[in-house]
This record gives sequence, structure tokens and C-alpha cells, in this order.
Amino acid sequence: MLSRSKFTLFTVALLIMALALAGCGGKADNKQAAEKVFVFAQGSDPRGLDPAFVDDGESANPIVNIYDTLVRYKSGSTEIEPALATEWTPSPDGKEWTFKLRQNVKFHDGTPFNADAVVYSVSRQLPPQRTDDMPYASFTFGPVQKVEKVDDYTVKFILSDPYAPFLANLAMALAAPIVSPAAVEKYGKDFIDNPVGTGPFKFAEWKKGQQIELVANKEYWGGAPKLDKLVYKFVKENSVRASELRTGAVQAMNGVDPNDVKMLEDAGVKVIKNPGMNINYLAFFSNKKPFDNPKLREAVSHAINRQNLVEFLYQGLAELPNGVLPSFMPGYDKTLAPYDYNPEKAKQLLAEAGYPNGLKTTLLTYSTVRPYNPVGGDKLAAAIQADLRKVGIEAEIKTYPWKEYKEIYTPEIVKEGDMMLYGWIGDNGDPDNFLSLLETKEIKSTLNTGKYSNKKVDELLVKGRTAQAMEERNAAYSELQKIVEKDAPWVFLSHSKDMAAYNSNVEGMDLHPTGVIFFRDVDIKK
Amino acid sequence: MLRYVAQRLLLLIPVLFGVSLFVFLVLHLFTADPAAMMLGQHATAEQVEALRKQLGLNDPIYMQFWRFLTDMLQGDFGRSLMTRAPVMEEILNRLPATIELALASIIIASAVGITVGVISAVKQYSIFDYLSMIGALAGVSMPIFWLGLMLIILFSVTLGWLPVSGRTDIGLDPATITNFYIIDSLLTRDWDALVAALRHLALPAIALASYSTAIIARMTRSTMLEVIRQDYIRTARAKGLGERIVVYRHALRNALIPVVTVIGLQMGQLLGGAVLTETVFSWPGIGSLLINAIMAGDYPLVQGSVIIIATTYVVVNLVVDVLYSYLDPRIHYS
Repeated sequence: MLSRSKFTLFTVALLIMALALAGCGGKADNKQAAEKVFVFAQGSDPRGLDPAFVDDGESANPIVNIYDTLVRYKSGSTEIEPALATEWTPSPDGKEWTFKLRQNVKFHDGTPFNADAVVYSVSRQLPPQRTDDMPYASFTFGPVQKVEKVDDYTVKFILSDPYAPFLANLAMALAAPIVSPAAVEKYGKDFIDNPVGTGPFKFAEWKKGQQIELVANKEYWGGAPKLDKLVYKFVKENSVRASELRTGAVQAMNGVDPNDVKMLEDAGVKVIKNPGMNINYLAFFSNKKPFDNPKLREAVSHAINRQNLVEFLYQGLAELPNGVLPSFMPGYDKTLAPYDYNPEKAKQLLAEAGYPNGLKTTLLTYSTVRPYNPVGGDKLAAAIQADLRKVGIEAEIKTYPWKEYKEIYTPEIVKEGDMMLYGWIGDNGDPDNFLSLLETKEIKSTLNTGKYSNKKVDELLVKGRTAQAMEERNAAYSELQKIVEKDAPWVFLSHSKDMAAYNSNVEGMDLHPTGVIFFRDVDIKK
Repeated sequence: MLRYVAQRLLLLIPVLFGVSLFVFLVLHLFTADPAAMMLGQHATAEQVEALRKQLGLNDPIYMQFWRFLTDMLQGDFGRSLMTRAPVMEEILNRLPATIELALASIIIASAVGITVGVISAVKQYSIFDYLSMIGALAGVSMPIFWLGLMLIILFSVTLGWLPVSGRTDIGLDPATITNFYIIDSLLTRDWDALVAALRHLALPAIALASYSTAIIARMTRSTMLEVIRQDYIRTARAKGLGERIVVYRHALRNALIPVVTVIGLQMGQLLGGAVLTETVFSWPGIGSLLINAIMAGDYPLVQGSVIIIATTYVVVNLVVDVLYSYLDPRIHYS
């Protein structure tokens, strides 16, 4: 055993070490002062950094800064602007899209970006090369039959049908980014850990479970980024991430816990609360009694106090929708005004619909928290139940675990239940991605949860999909949204807000509606 | 002795078989369809079915278990569904971080626990005794998760002494030879890296050590009290030996045998507690790997991690049992 003197020595050594540790914290900071290192904290490692093989937000974040897409979203909206493609023209029948490519762009490995690279990036995700573990390939390139090189800086996409939303697909963080063919060949399966793109930041290192380090691509075609290094640090707990931000060890974070917002703001941290690309809704099963009666749907729409839900249930961290589309999306009609909260009117409509003594009904819900419903399906259902009771509608709530819930609504008539709570997270920022959830043909795929069917709506969706000019598309979507507003197949409950927080010395930071942060223009003030 | 060790090693087989069976059944019977989880919201039923077939998920469960067992015996736990890397590789990448944390904690817990225990016993019913035993009660009762958050708020956010999370400073690029950051930085004489590694290790190690420290302190105190009342202690005192020699040489040495058992058991506990500590402090060890794997429904990775943790637990206990016979010549295994 330790003798007395050894023991004393040991204790003293421990004490000295502790003091030394507490004292010398500043060294690493001096090293950082020379270059601008931006540390961004997110919840976990990406699944991978090959855009063809991932489907999670943790991957999308670094991916949009390592790679470029042919077209990209404008900041703050999902409208499209040029990126690696400088211009594009669809053929008159809408089945062929020709893209002129940006010249003098190089991948991070020094190989040139050209038509071959685009053909390679896309073709590996088209049949027959497409594999089952490419989660977004069939969505993003769904209508694409072939992609061809016209000349070194021109490519042509050949679609099976005219499909206008295709352009928005090419801006997505998943599947669409253009990869270096040379690097994919070189790394093979390991490309997922060794990404090479043309984006503003080059991949440097991935320490699994800890961080990913990117360095500035000084030759970026859009101008060198202002930061020298961009580090994604993985910090699992929301509150721990917030502590990191408060100590200044990280400059920004996503996934802010609603309970931490006030604490962070009091500490001088800026919190971004942007409406996200999602919709939280209640769907009526409008193909069967009783909600095949539009009057009854209208009655329920008047009975639910949506303003209260947004303000109290979601604590202001959600926005009140005017229809299916979030307001930042192209095609959003500003003139919409859905049925307002009016319990008297609801009672009256209920009587007119043949239920003067009230109605017994069933509301289906899920037990988990969803991105569009951060309080969970059961709390939302309870709030709606209370509102409905006030106008004489007695709604029984049936709750299912999320996995089973997705199996409840078969394409046929749903046996139990009259209404259900559900939601949608947008993929590509195109209006069709949201509005087609109400299309008759999507009843079969179960995406049209309420089994709403309206010929005019179907026609307008086809028109919006095939029209070339955005104005023409928007006109079709305006008309469609007005029909839906009146028909009330859904009650539009909320658009959940996305949050990110950053320190006050950060400039140019914004959370894009698609949930990612583009760092090409972000800077740190000294 | 060798025979005993061999026997114990043989016993490992049914234990690990049981663990494997349990983990396998829980994951396969009670969790969501991994094929559906891998493919995401746009997958068609046919795609899910094709992937299920490819992963062998449609085979009868005993066949799947047999395949899992035979692969495992060859050290092959399959590939992670999340990262597509071999599970064994993922685990080996993370294991050093967990061991480093567990060792740091056991050192803190043993040093503090034994010291406090001895002083409490020698000065029984003193203020120190009362305070330290109240502290020990708190240490046993406090959830690691909560304690971790409190330590962060106090030492990192409020006082700014220590970093919040992670294993080293961002911007420092320590050489990784063994993946034990402390050993690596010593080997390369990179003192900045050593300081950074120790500073990052401090809070998680303290949080993780809290429970074990308390247990060890209480155990040391009670065995010390027992030993101090023995005849040979009275004899030693009667001989006129100094109090310190009596306490440290005669009493402590004998009191330590049960304490070593407890320390050994705590080593296993620490690996379990590491799951929570690693999550709070984003410590990139096997515990945080396991949590991520559970969240993502990555069943090969969950199976692999649990089995590795269980194996370590069993082996550590074996090592402790063997150590006894060295500490106490009266103990013989045959």
C-alpha cells in the first residue's frame, strides 16, 4: 500500500495538476485567433457525406457547404436561382431540359467540373445503377430517364413526362449535389467518408463522434468564403449545446430547446425562429360519412381555435397557416383566408348539416413528437377535443404509436375514425410537393391521408406540373388553393418554426427554410 | 489457479450466449422495421420488401439468430445501418475514449473514496465523518445526468474554468496513435494536447466517479471500523506503534480486500454509467455510440455495443477475482 509520504506526494501532485488545468485554458485560443474558425454544434454525426446515400438533416448541413447543385434556393425562400448551371431551357413539350454549365469551376481534388461530371453524378442514381440504399434517388430523379452530355458545358435531362417541379429537385441537399467522378472512382464505398465537391468548403477530417472539419475553398467560383475553417461539432444534448454556445466555445447551433430560448436571449445570444418547410394538419376522411358533407368540415374548421394552438400549445414557436403552403414558398397565394374561429357559426353549420343535437365522432392521433408537432400528437388531439366539445362535437381520441399509425390509413376506406392528425415535411420547396398531397391518385400511395378527391384540383395540379412559366404555374396554384380553402379537406393547424442560435459576433447567418445553413457568406466579427 | 481461470472463462460462454440471445430478441421483436427506417419517407412497400430480403429479415427468427451468432464468433458483428462501416470498426474506434474515461474515474473514485473512508473511520463521529457520509449519501443518490449538467453550469458556463464537452480543443490536432489521448500526447510530448485532454476529461470523470466514490468511501469506512476493533490492532497499539503506522500499515491493508472487490465491481458500473456521462458531455465513447445507435434503430450496432460492454463487465469481474489471491494469500482458488 501507499506509504504516508507517497500518499502525500500523490495528493500534492493531484492538487498541482488540478490548479494547472484550471489555469491554462488560453493556449489553444491564441492559435485560433490567427485564422477564423467557426464552430457549429449539431446533435450528432451525419450518416455520411455522399449525397446519394443519406436522408438526414445532420448530413444535409455539411453537404450543402461541401457541394454545389446545378440550381440553388434563394436565401430565405425556395425560389430557384443559378448555381453550377448558369441558364436552363425546357423544350416546348417540357420533357427535355437543357442546362448550360458554369465554366472554369474545379472540384476540390483539382479535377474540372463539366458535363461529364453532371452525367456521372446523376447517372449513378438512375436505373440500372441505382441501388436500394439510395433513399432520395427515386424522389429527386423520379421523372428523369436519361441525362446526356451535349458538349463539354451543356447537359440535357430527358424526362418521362413534363414535370416542372423537377427544377426544384435539382436544388435539394440530398441526391442532387454534384460529386467529383474522379473521387468517387478513387474512394469507391469510402467516398461517403471522403467527400469531394465544388462547394465553398473542402472536406478535411471527420473524427467520428466528435467533429467534422472543413477548410475554405479559396478558389470558390462564388468568391472565397470569409471563414478559414468550418467545424461541425457533435453535441448530443440540447442544453449542453446551449452551454457551449454561452461559453463561446461554439459560434452557433441548431436544435434549440424551446425552454432554453429565453435563457439564451438573456445571455445575448441571437435566436433565429423561422417558419419551417412543413405543415401540421387535421384531415377529414372526406370519402365517407359523416365528413363527406362539406358543411360539417366547415363547422369543425370554425370550431378549432387555431390562434390559441399556435400561441399557447406551441408557445409561439409555430406560425398560423393560411393554407397548405408555408408563406415563403413559390405559389403561395397571399389572398387566402381560411375559416376563422367562430363557435357560433360552427354550431349553426352543425345544425344545418343535420346535427342540431351535436355529433359523436372519432379523432385518430399518434403518440410521438413530430417535427411539425413538437408537443406530440396526444396533446394536440386533447386541445382540439376541448375546442370541439364547446360546439357540441364529442370527439373520442384514439392514439397509436407512430409506426402503427402509418399502417392505419389504408388506401381503402378507413374503418375506424373520422378525422386524423398528420403532417408533412417538404422535400424540394416546390408547391407541387405540398399540394399534390390532395391529389386523387395519391389516395393509393396513402400520401393523400384524408382521401380527398376533387376533379378540378386534380386538373389544376397537372396544369401546375406541366406548365413552363412560373406565372402560369402560380395562376393554377392560386385557383387550386382557393378551392381547397373553401372545400376544407384539412384544418391547417400550424407551420412549426425551425430554430438556430448564434453568438452576437457572427454576421450573415441565416437558417434556410429547408433547415440547413449555408456558410458561404457567414463571417465572424473580431 | 489456472484451472480456476479456465473454469471462469468457460462460464463466459453461457453468460455471453444469454446476453446475445436477450439483446437479439429484444431488438428483433420490439423495435421498428430496420428496412423501413433505412429507406425513409419515400420508400415504396416493394423497396422495403426487397431490402428486408437482402438483409435476411424475412427468414425465421432462429435462423437469423444462428447467423448472427456464427458471424459474431468470428468477430463479425455486421455493418452499421447508419454509417455502413463494420460494427467492430465503429466500436474499436470508440472504445479507447470509454476506457480512458472509466480509468480516470476509477482513479478519482479510489483516491478520494479510500482517503475519505479512512479518515471517517479513524475519526468516527467527528464533523468530518458526518459531512463526508452525508456527501457519500448525496453521491449515491444524485443522478449522473443531472450532476453532469450542474458541473457544466458551474465550472464551464459560470466560472469558465473547464470546457463543456468533447475530448480535446478544436483547432488542436493531436496525433492519434493509440486513440488514448493522454497516452498519445505523452508519447508525442505534445503538452498542449495533454493539457487539453486532461481539461476535457476532468468534468466527465468527476461526474462519472461520483457514485463510485461514495460507494468506495462507505465501504472503506465500514471495513476500517471493523478492522480497527480487531485484536491485532490492539496488539499493535499496545506494542507502542505510532498511530499512523497502525492505521496505514496494519489496519488499511487488511481493510482493503473488500474495498478492492467493490472497486472492481465499480469498474463494471462505470462502463454502464458511461452511457449517461458520455451523452451529457458528448464524450465520443461506446456509450454515446450506443445511444445514437438506439435512436437511429441501428440494430447491428446496438447488438455489437451491448455485447462488447457485457463482455468487458464479465472480464473485469474475473480479473478482480484473480487479483484477490494476490492481495490476500488466504484466498485460494482451486
